[in-house]
Amino acid sequence: MSGTSTAAGTLERTEADELLQLGSPWVTIVWNDPVNLMSYVTYVFQTYFGFPRKEAERLMMLVHTEGRAVVATGTREEMERHVEAMHDYGLWATLTKADA
Amino acid sequence: MIPFRRRRDGRVTARFEAGEARLLLSLAEEAVELARAASAPESAALDPALGRLLPDAYPDDPEASAEFRRFTAPGLADRKEAAARVVMETLAGTSGEGRVEVVLDQTQATAWLRTITDVRLVLAARLNIRQDGDEGDIHDDESAMQRAVYDWLAAVQEFLVLALRPRR
Repeated sequence: MSGTSTAAGTLERTEADELLQLGSPWVTIVWNDPVNLMSYVTYVFQTYFGFPRKEAERLMMLVHTEGRAVVATGTREEMERHVEAMHDYGLWATLTKADA
Repeated sequence: MIPFRRRRDGRVTARFEAGEARLLLSLAEEAVELARAASAPESAALDPALGRLLPDAYPDDPEASAEFRRFTAPGLADRKEAAARVVMETLAGTSGEGRVEVVLDQTQATAWLRTITDVRLVLAARLNIRQDGDEGDIHDDESAMQRAVYDWLAAVQEFLVLALRPRR
């Protein structure tokens, strides 16, 4: 899965660069857990964030294979709302500064 | 169980054997109790299973996590309890011996998804399932039953997600 890992690293750096320019340096991270079904995680990404199926599946696979994925970027308050919503769904989510 | 499928009117339906319906009802009742127990901000420290319902929001910052928990735990617990009560309502009248047909609209289906998830998270914590592929700590009839329920709920949820899934 080295190809996936390289792509993910590049993506995260690109997102971080954009964030610094926009001045909104927080991210919501969803972590892999052994409980939640891949179909359910995809469903949550589609219905809560409004991602198209393919993007939701891509992020779900990132969570599954890399152990985590950045699913949103923005202000700290916005990310706290997303994390709380993910906890509503039973997903393991955290927020952190994008450059951390 | 005849698994969930989508009806023409957009609602989803499944049929459960009487024993299955009673099991779901008792699990939903348990989920209400768990949500109530989780509403206390200090509950996560006392019981790892409750901690999994309300995980730390700031993994490297215990102070910010505690602050976040103070603000969000009561609301999260209330919504989890409300979802579990919706599941109970949709299973009302399952004390009989016959099969039970469940019909759910979108809101009720979301409540089912969330409650099943919460119950499975707590079962996983009790069984010490920590990583993908873990069998869990199965050492007696009770833990074996918990593992069977954990797997069965996964099947119920999988069919429910597939029935609800947005087309694009």
